Amino acid sequence: MFIDALVEFLSPGNVVDVLVRGLAEAGLYVMIASGLTLVFGLMGVLNFAHGSITMIGAYLGGLVLVTLAAGGTTVTGLLGFAVAIVVAFGVLAALGAGIETQLVRRIYDRPPLYQILLTFGVALVLDELARIVILFYGLQPSTVWQAVLGTKPTVLRESVDIFGASIGGLELFQILFGVLTVAGVHLFLTQTRYGLFIRAGSEDSEMLSALGVDVRRVFTVVFALGTGIAGAAGVLLAWDPAWGASVPLAAETLLPAFVVVIVGGLGTFRGTVVAALLVGFVDSTMTWWFQNHINFTGLPEMMVFLVLVVMLIVKPQGLYGVSEVGGH
Amino acid sequence: MYTLAVNSPLSAEFTALLPRIETLVVVLFFALFAMSFDFISGYTGYLSFGHAAFYGTGAYLVVLAANGKLPLLGPETPFMLLLVIAGVAAAVVALLIGSVSFRLSGVYFAMITLGFSQVLYVFIRDWDFVGSAPRNGVAVTGTTEGFRIGIPGVESLSVAIGQLTGDSIEGLFGFISLSATEVSFYAIGAVVLVCYLLLQRLVHSPFGRVLIAIRENEERARAIGYNTYVYKLSAFVMSGFFAGVAGALFAGFRRSVTPENGFYFLVAGDALLASILGGFGTLAGPLYGRLFDQGAREFLSKEGGGGGLLPYLRANLGEGTLSTELFNGVTVSEAIDTFLNGHAALFVGVLFVLFVLYVPNGVLGTLRMRYGGVLAKAIPRRVQQWWRS
Repeated sequence: MFIDALVEFLSPGNVVDVLVRGLAEAGLYVMIASGLTLVFGLMGVLNFAHGSITMIGAYLGGLVLVTLAAGGTTVTGLLGFAVAIVVAFGVLAALGAGIETQLVRRIYDRPPLYQILLTFGVALVLDELARIVILFYGLQPSTVWQAVLGTKPTVLRESVDIFGASIGGLELFQILFGVLTVAGVHLFLTQTRYGLFIRAGSEDSEMLSALGVDVRRVFTVVFALGTGIAGAAGVLLAWDPAWGASVPLAAETLLPAFVVVIVGGLGTFRGTVVAALLVGFVDSTMTWWFQNHINFTGLPEMMVFLVLVVMLIVKPQGLYGVSEVGGH
Repeated sequence: MYTLAVNSPLSAEFTALLPRIETLVVVLFFALFAMSFDFISGYTGYLSFGHAAFYGTGAYLVVLAANGKLPLLGPETPFMLLLVIAGVAAAVVALLIGSVSFRLSGVYFAMITLGFSQVLYVFIRDWDFVGSAPRNGVAVTGTTEGFRIGIPGVESLSVAIGQLTGDSIEGLFGFISLSATEVSFYAIGAVVLVCYLLLQRLVHSPFGRVLIAIRENEERARAIGYNTYVYKLSAFVMSGFFAGVAGALFAGFRRSVTPENGFYFLVAGDALLASILGGFGTLAGPLYGRLFDQGAREFLSKEGGGGGLLPYLRANLGEGTLSTELFNGVTVSEAIDTFLNGHAALFVGVLFVLFVLYVPNGVLGTLRMRYGGVLAKAIPRRVQQWWRS
């Protein structure tokens, strides 16, 4: 029986299907997690408010989409989406800069425990504020905001056949954004002056400041960049029916983001990309098994957390991590 | 006391301010959980973010045993025995998780315990052995009798707990009458007190000193010759035991448990909140922290049957004030509804952030530093000095 299922799983159409789904998931994961890893790599702060930022991004983007693209034609939908991404990135980068300069900056010299505590508190406050605002406008905070899903253009609802597998337009869209994020962050890190500062600061921030670079400003920029990417990821999630804009999205994205970041090795961008692919494929594979043969709803989610646990047991510093990072 | 305050001339103010007895019961068992969390995280400095796993284990064990789902533990198993078994079960889970987790430290330790507890959470949430709709949690259906707390084997020296199933006491010693919830309060309070004293004993033993040494400088503790791994792991197992007992008390009182209020990682987040507010690394601190947290939640919720800010404001602000427009046609009454009703988490969260920034030792820790010792000793000393001078 298991052999039959395995043969069915390995049929070409199905493999392509699972691979593309996995890539789409990886695209989402890399968007959720790359901000987290940049911040940790440079400052050693594990930002527990990251998921809340993504959630706010989903609502902000949703607001833009509902205002601009309520009609639902393809052109307005995609244009509205572009505007939504820019708005979410801008607003949340500003919010991130605010959080960094006003709160996180005060506790860099304390043990890492306090940074977790502080950002956890910020997450509580942001979640509750979001809940208040959303309730005030008569939306249900715990269920997905349906109006945003309605603005998704028809192109993304259709699916195309490749090798006998039907691939949704939204999945291709998510892969595109994943690739864009990876390329963008990679170019930023390797080609710009700030990228150089960030890479240097991840190695030794004291040395960097001794060389005359204003490290505090670099920290702020990286924090803002990280939260901005998280906000943009939220906009992308608002169109995906499996995620959608809701307040619990904060925890739903935070935990997989942690898994990706830790499996890849805290603070390494390359590791995060590889880990996002790994977790994405685990997720899509397990989703297939659950849908077809194993009757256990939580299978994909459980496997994702098991990846984290197994990785921490086998190789605690993650795929590409350096063992000194994060207080081993 | 409560009755006295509520019947006094300031009754409206008192009903608004004071938490109800139901809330206090919740404070008690959750405080025990928060203490167990603080015992490992506050004293050794290892943040156990997956502590909810042990609380959930204890709670589910009681409910499943009462529903006759567990081998050897029928519905008629005495609750006092269940408490111990729940603790032991949670301690075993803690031993398994801890033995691999303590190879790591810092952020990684927090993450691996979080990972373990989330695996358990998803597993329990979707495992249909637990109940027909495991996602919505399970309630005690196997027995209608309340769980009894007291001296095992002596029927007259034990009482049943629970809001509906608990015993009420009429005319004890001629003048003490207690409602079912009040009886639960004292019964659960007794168990929590015993656990607190045990934890207190551990903290002040040489064993507890080693834990603090690990928090302050683990390398040095190891260099002196302590096998820190064994110390950390045994502290983790003990902490798991008490978290399991707390979970069992919770399930015994509420008679139901859901994956969200048992195993979800935010349950540990609440314990963290209580510990930070009350005092990280002080055993009694989490009790006050939780009291404040729960009190604020009730004070700011509309449903607070006994009272709360909202009914108080509604009753005592005039109709004119309530319907005054603030901006854009939003009236005061609507603003109160929007910002205050059930949104205590906002204010508690802001306070939490302020505490992390400015009062990292929590209320109790700061007071102890200020008065130079445990309050119960420091305050009489102060009073004596003041008296003599």
